[in-house]
Amino acid sequence: MSGRRAAAALLCAVACVGCGHSARRPPSPVARADATHEYPSKPAPPETATSAAPTAVGAIRAFVTAYVNWNARTVSVDLRTLAAQSVGQARAAMTLAAAETADDYELRRGGIANSGAVEAVAPLPGERNQYVVVTRESTTATNTTAYQGLRPAWHVALAAVQRVPGGRWVLSDWQPES
Amino acid sequence: MVTRRFTGGVVVFGVIVAVIAAGLGAGLLALLTSVFGEGDECGSPAGAAAGAGNATATGAGNPTATGIVLAAPGAGQLVGATEYGGPGDASSGVIGSSGANLLEQPDSYAELGGDTFQTATAMGGLPYLTPLRITWGTRSAVAYKRDIGLGGGPIDGLPRVLDLWWELAGRLGIPYEDGLWSGPVRIERPPETGAGNLLDQTAEPAPALIAPSTAEQDPATCAPAAVEGVPLASGDRAQLLPNGLAAAPTDAPPAVREIIAAGNQIVGKPYLYGGGHGLPLSDIAPAYDCSSSVEHLLYGAGLLPVDYDAPSGALESFGQAGPGRWVTLYASADHVFMYVAGLRWDTHNAGGAGDGSTGIGWHPLIRSDAGFVARHPVGL
Repeated sequence: MSGRRAAAALLCAVACVGCGHSARRPPSPVARADATHEYPSKPAPPETATSAAPTAVGAIRAFVTAYVNWNARTVSVDLRTLAAQSVGQARAAMTLAAAETADDYELRRGGIANSGAVEAVAPLPGERNQYVVVTRESTTATNTTAYQGLRPAWHVALAAVQRVPGGRWVLSDWQPES
Repeated sequence: MVTRRFTGGVVVFGVIVAVIAAGLGAGLLALLTSVFGEGDECGSPAGAAAGAGNATATGAGNPTATGIVLAAPGAGQLVGATEYGGPGDASSGVIGSSGANLLEQPDSYAELGGDTFQTATAMGGLPYLTPLRITWGTRSAVAYKRDIGLGGGPIDGLPRVLDLWWELAGRLGIPYEDGLWSGPVRIERPPETGAGNLLDQTAEPAPALIAPSTAEQDPATCAPAAVEGVPLASGDRAQLLPNGLAAAPTDAPPAVREIIAAGNQIVGKPYLYGGGHGLPLSDIAPAYDCSSSVEHLLYGAGLLPVDYDAPSGALESFGQAGPGRWVTLYASADHVFMYVAGLRWDTHNAGGAGDGSTGIGWHPLIRSDAGFVARHPVGL
């Protein structure tokens, strides 16, 4: 734009403001947020899992095995790794849990650890790519007697998987039920 | 249901024992009280006088009348228990109502209160395999519900809520009395296990837990009896019980009994410097130090806010100066302990030999208070 055209445009803009045409302008993001109580943001970038499994059940077994085996010192890092290896709700849940356990005084003070294995993975009837997962887990502690004498117990969770480019599978939803 | 220890013959035997033991009139009165006393909320010891193994049925299916509401994990409570099975009690059989062979699963208990799963609800109707930590004296073990049973009247003023398989009782050091032993035990719901629960990610993080009611009883009408699981002792001094818990004096104000109840919740917890700090005082911490344990007791009576958290030195300015009528704290920058109705609460046996357990709890001996500042709660 030449200097002359720019000056003309500026004059026109000033003139328009003077005429009260400013009301026709699109509202600013802040004004829109005031009105709608929503502040639009850019869409999240696509998530990329750092690893994927050749089968859906394999992806679940790998995720769950890591999820149930940790100790107070490693749990936060372990959960961050799981977050990187999953997508969607599972990634968000692991990221949140990693942050919460990074400074968990109770876990560290008690020297709490969890261990276990995947006992069964079964497809959820009528739900595509969703599974029921049964684990058998044992919780121990080095600095408290609270868990002493407790037998390993079964736990149930719901999982969902997604197919990623290349035909491999990653975990996308993880909801422990017990 | 295959099992049952409380057969008709045992019922008759128990009735006869009760009548003989307590005298005809008193025994009949005790029996009638335990049979028909559904409105008795005082935990009258009359039923206990009938003796172990008595099979008097009480308001089955109504845990508020004859049972308890289990406290949150980590919070122990005293209850009445009996023992069953073994060579001297063949009538009980060896198969629990859950179908489990109790000889193969000796860490078993039965929830009492009725003759069906739906009516044996003295602890609220726990699902089978619910774990409970059970403590008698200094020994404790985790046991699982695999049976149910009829139950009976209170034991030492405590609701009779569970029956211990004889091998479990043996592990706790309880003497075998051919299935006729009865007495108080401490039960505690263990913490939730499993990664989903530990990471607080389960859809239902924990079962809805109802804290035991803190409603007071009138000692004039109920004493001597249990006040919400707190044993009572006549007079104005607390008493140290063989199992390490304290019995609250019936003559004490409610706040004193509440302090003792809070102390009984954490007796025997491990000592850990810094333990219990950083948590709400309503929580039961895995371990305590001197100040956090004293603060837990004071919170129990509403004498500190739930978020109070301070080292021992801060308690040098607690309440009012000098010893109190019922409660006296001795605080310094390094340590704090207290006397409650004459019984010392401390985190170690500073009184020397014979001063009770080495850890957090009630101690029978007086210790030196040199170097400490005496304080007491206003009005106590």
